[in-house]
Amino acid sequence: MNRIDSILKEALDKVKTAELDTIENIRIEYLGKKGKITEILKTLSSLSIEEKKQIGSEINAAKDALNDAVESKKKEITNKLLEEKMKNEKIDVSSAFSFTFPKGHYHIISRTIEEMSDIFVSLGFDVSQGREIETDWYNFEALNIPKDHPARDTQDTFYLENSSNLLRTHTSPAQIHIMEESKPPIKVIVPGRVYRNEATDATHSAIFHQIEGLVVGEKVTFAELKGTLSLFIHRLFGQELDLRFRPSHFQFTEPSAEVDIKCVLCGGKGCRVCKGSGWLEMLGCGMVHPNVFRAVKYDPEKYTGYAFGLGVERFAMFKYGIDDMRVLYENDLRVLRQF
Amino acid sequence: MKISYNWLRDIVDFDLSPQELCHTLTSLGVETSVISGGVQWKGVITAKVVDRQKHPNADKLSICRVNDGNKEYEIVCGAKNVEAGQIIPLAVLGAVLPGDFVIKPAKIRGVASEGMICSEQELGLKAESDGIMVLGEDTPLGKNLEDVLGEADTILEIEITTNRGDCLSHWGVAREIAAKLQKIPNLPIIKNVKFSESNVIEIKDKDLCTRYIGCQIKGVKIGPSPKWMADRLESCGIKSINNIVDITNYVLLELGHPLHAFDSSTISGGKIIVRRANQGEKITTLDGKTHELTSNMLLIADASKPLAVAGVIGGEFSSINETTTDIFLESAVFNPGNIRKTARTLNISTDASYRYERGTSWEVAEMASWRAVNLIAELAGGRLELREDVNSPDNKKVIIQLRVERVAKILGYEIDEKTIANILRFLGIEISTKVEKVLIAEVPSYRNDIKEEIDLIEEIARVNGYENIPVVKESNSFAGAGKQNLSSNKIIKNISSGLVGLGFCEVMNYSFAEIKDLDKLFLNYSYKIANPISKENEVLRPSLLVGLMKNFNFNSGQGTNDIKIFEIGRIFDAKGERKVLGILMSGTVWQTWWKWEENKINPVFDFYFAGGVINRILPSNEFTISENRSPEKYYHPGKTAAIVYRGKPVGQFGVLRPDITENTQNEVIYAEMDIESIESEYKIKVNTYEHVAKFPSVKRDISVVSSKEVKFDKIEKVIKQVMKTGGILKDFNLFSVYESEKLGSDKISYSFRLFYRHNDKTLNDAEVNADMQSLLNKLDGDLGIKLRS
Repeated sequence: MNRIDSILKEALDKVKTAELDTIENIRIEYLGKKGKITEILKTLSSLSIEEKKQIGSEINAAKDALNDAVESKKKEITNKLLEEKMKNEKIDVSSAFSFTFPKGHYHIISRTIEEMSDIFVSLGFDVSQGREIETDWYNFEALNIPKDHPARDTQDTFYLENSSNLLRTHTSPAQIHIMEESKPPIKVIVPGRVYRNEATDATHSAIFHQIEGLVVGEKVTFAELKGTLSLFIHRLFGQELDLRFRPSHFQFTEPSAEVDIKCVLCGGKGCRVCKGSGWLEMLGCGMVHPNVFRAVKYDPEKYTGYAFGLGVERFAMFKYGIDDMRVLYENDLRVLRQF
Repeated sequence: MKISYNWLRDIVDFDLSPQELCHTLTSLGVETSVISGGVQWKGVITAKVVDRQKHPNADKLSICRVNDGNKEYEIVCGAKNVEAGQIIPLAVLGAVLPGDFVIKPAKIRGVASEGMICSEQELGLKAESDGIMVLGEDTPLGKNLEDVLGEADTILEIEITTNRGDCLSHWGVAREIAAKLQKIPNLPIIKNVKFSESNVIEIKDKDLCTRYIGCQIKGVKIGPSPKWMADRLESCGIKSINNIVDITNYVLLELGHPLHAFDSSTISGGKIIVRRANQGEKITTLDGKTHELTSNMLLIADASKPLAVAGVIGGEFSSINETTTDIFLESAVFNPGNIRKTARTLNISTDASYRYERGTSWEVAEMASWRAVNLIAELAGGRLELREDVNSPDNKKVIIQLRVERVAKILGYEIDEKTIANILRFLGIEISTKVEKVLIAEVPSYRNDIKEEIDLIEEIARVNGYENIPVVKESNSFAGAGKQNLSSNKIIKNISSGLVGLGFCEVMNYSFAEIKDLDKLFLNYSYKIANPISKENEVLRPSLLVGLMKNFNFNSGQGTNDIKIFEIGRIFDAKGERKVLGILMSGTVWQTWWKWEENKINPVFDFYFAGGVINRILPSNEFTISENRSPEKYYHPGKTAAIVYRGKPVGQFGVLRPDITENTQNEVIYAEMDIESIESEYKIKVNTYEHVAKFPSVKRDISVVSSKEVKFDKIEKVIKQVMKTGGILKDFNLFSVYESEKLGSDKISYSFRLFYRHNDKTLNDAEVNADMQSLLNKLDGDLGIKLRS
């Protein structure tokens, strides 16, 4: 073993046991200006070129080896120190210590309207708005509900003082406005607030929300109405629920239908929620009555259309298990923050 | 309306169970459910009460020994009417009664009972019953109850839609069943006889009465009805009174046409006059109440006095009683709208008015009259002495043309002509053809809902079954753009998601307000409700503040101190109806946290925090906050600002007056913005890409002293001018506002940090100093603001 090797071995041994504050001294001891390896270089002058070349490269290799060893040792030591430091810095991560950013909430009703509107928009519907103060013409007459018709019984109306205006009892007057203001084809929904003059209890409210839908064109059929509303309900519930179209009656549609879904709670056997029928009423719909087209001066021979209206509260209460409608308008933050 | 299952089967032959029948009727549009009856039990047998003793430990109970012919049972019974010798229905151990009620061995007050003696109510045969059910004396023992009862009737409840008044009878419902099953309904044979014309009926107001048939029957004997009739009335919820009244009710339930019987002896002058009442005319009706009538109401009167309110309720004076021998029987057709108005004005709803409001048939009026005459002759004796029929010539059947291709155009699938004709015929509509593919339909007058072609199409769809209409995906020959009404929804979405992100909760309030609540908030209403049901619905809200303030009070009452809520809704003020956004905030900005406590940070919402919220949620920086020139009265006049968009005020915010929020410790801040005017003005601005400077910026902090008179807005304006002209001052922010005695009580100091940057080079000190100096000069020159020494 030559001298370079033994010096290198000696140096590497020292590195193995070195600490962070002594390790640079080892480098200086061997590689500094007067270092043991540097010293060897100084003796080279007496040697032949061949020898110089050979020993020179050996020395350089030894230098590199020592530098590498020092660097990796340094890294090893700093890593170890960092690990120790972090170990000492361990904090209590219990969630109670964390800051709670205040969380905002949308109201259940607007959230439900949004959810429903999104589905209709994806089916190609426009979204429009109506007015809440209406005239008798838009709310009743144009919708084929003449004065003193029993259909008005179910829609107790709030009238405004010193005017003939009223608060709309359904979103359907929007159908008339839209048809008056535009030409077919029409494909639109109108979410909005409606008013009924009745006492508020667990299942009734003087105010609630509906989404009105209207599609008018030259080839619109009941079969398409079934198609669109089935698709809507399936998307809303995220599954192919059983549903039925049941004959019903609305003055402004003919034929009319009520859409029921198989009770999700009892699977159709009958329970408290579906009042034993096995079905839950979801919405009313039908083909636009020719008298409605006549009221807006559309030709009922040329155009056909369908319309539907669905109750937002009913669906929201069902979805979120709310058993009292008043809860929706009490605005108790403890309730609002649940959704 | 209550309908008897057995009665229906008398009229139309079907073998559907009550449940199947409900399903069939519901699928036709007549919502039907079983309310009582039918065999709903298991393990109930007939047995005889052999002996009855008082329960030793209970006064109201008895111990009965009951024998079924084979075996004896000891039964504890609570009914008052239980007697030895009776044959009764016995639910033995293991029997199941309606509602899945299983009979188990039980000890009642120390005595074991081996079953239960049942009442009709417990068996589900009746909705209510008094005491146990007692069976006939010759009932065999030990038999299953259902085998000896014969056919236990089932009572159905039907709910009709407003257009189907014709279904308010057994015949009407039977017609629906018959149409679906393609059968012909059978009514009892109704005999009629020819009568010579007489002249006792005078219809003065022919617009309100289109047919009036009067029958004078003499020598009737008032008495109880036969059991079968009383039972049928009772099962449909009508009390049996006497044979004559019961017959009119029976015919009503059977055929659906209201009849009225007067005591002839009370009719003076030998005349029946159908006329509008005189304003203020009075009548005491069957319910014992005296009503004052208006000239819009139709009366049945004699020569001198009113006898009945037409189609609504009879008069007390002219009613049938035990001593009546001669009657005058009315079967008439009145104007539905007029009857509805009268019934509503008088606040009376009767079986008659309910049907008249929905329209009655001039054909059925005649059938019903004869049916009642037949029944009276059969059950009460008496002779028909006089019959008069005043019928309007306008009473004709409706004729409608139906184009076969139109059915497919509406429904979206083809139904062949033969099927269509068949469906309509079984509905009682006569069909003929003259032209190919066009049917001529003659509609019976009881179907007053069928007025035009589309109504026939509904009938076809309904009877053929909605389930047979295909489910077709929209042809998509056209579609809306699926646009969310452009800016409106976009703005609302942006704003509410901004607020929710800041921890605000959305609320929804009623649109109504009480005047006293408005007064407290210095608000005036513009719309008053003419017919409110309670004070809460007096007026329409002129501001969202009313509701939000209620929410604030409610929630702070529940102990919630930090309240951040908003609402988007319509308000109704002098400008009309419009959509606005209201935001209310109060209390601590952040939830409590141990680190805040540690650092003593606990900011509470004030005007400036609110300003930050407003700035954060506004959809673009073109909205600015500036001086409020006409603040709402509910704001603290010194702490309110306007929200301005391109020079036009679109909202206000500020601290509520302390006298509004007396009971609260913290300031309450309210903002209201007019979404509609933002929507109509605001165009969604698309920002174009701007290069980001590569050269470093230079920061400088300066403090200046200003007179308090100068609003900071003015200073900001000067800074912005310098930013524009110099081009290297890019941004600034205010980091300190300071007052002290040393400065003087009328002075205030502001410190701000200025950011300088050049787009093409690194700035040197001299350049920055020069620009800063020009700012200081301008501040001094324009506003007298000096650098703080």
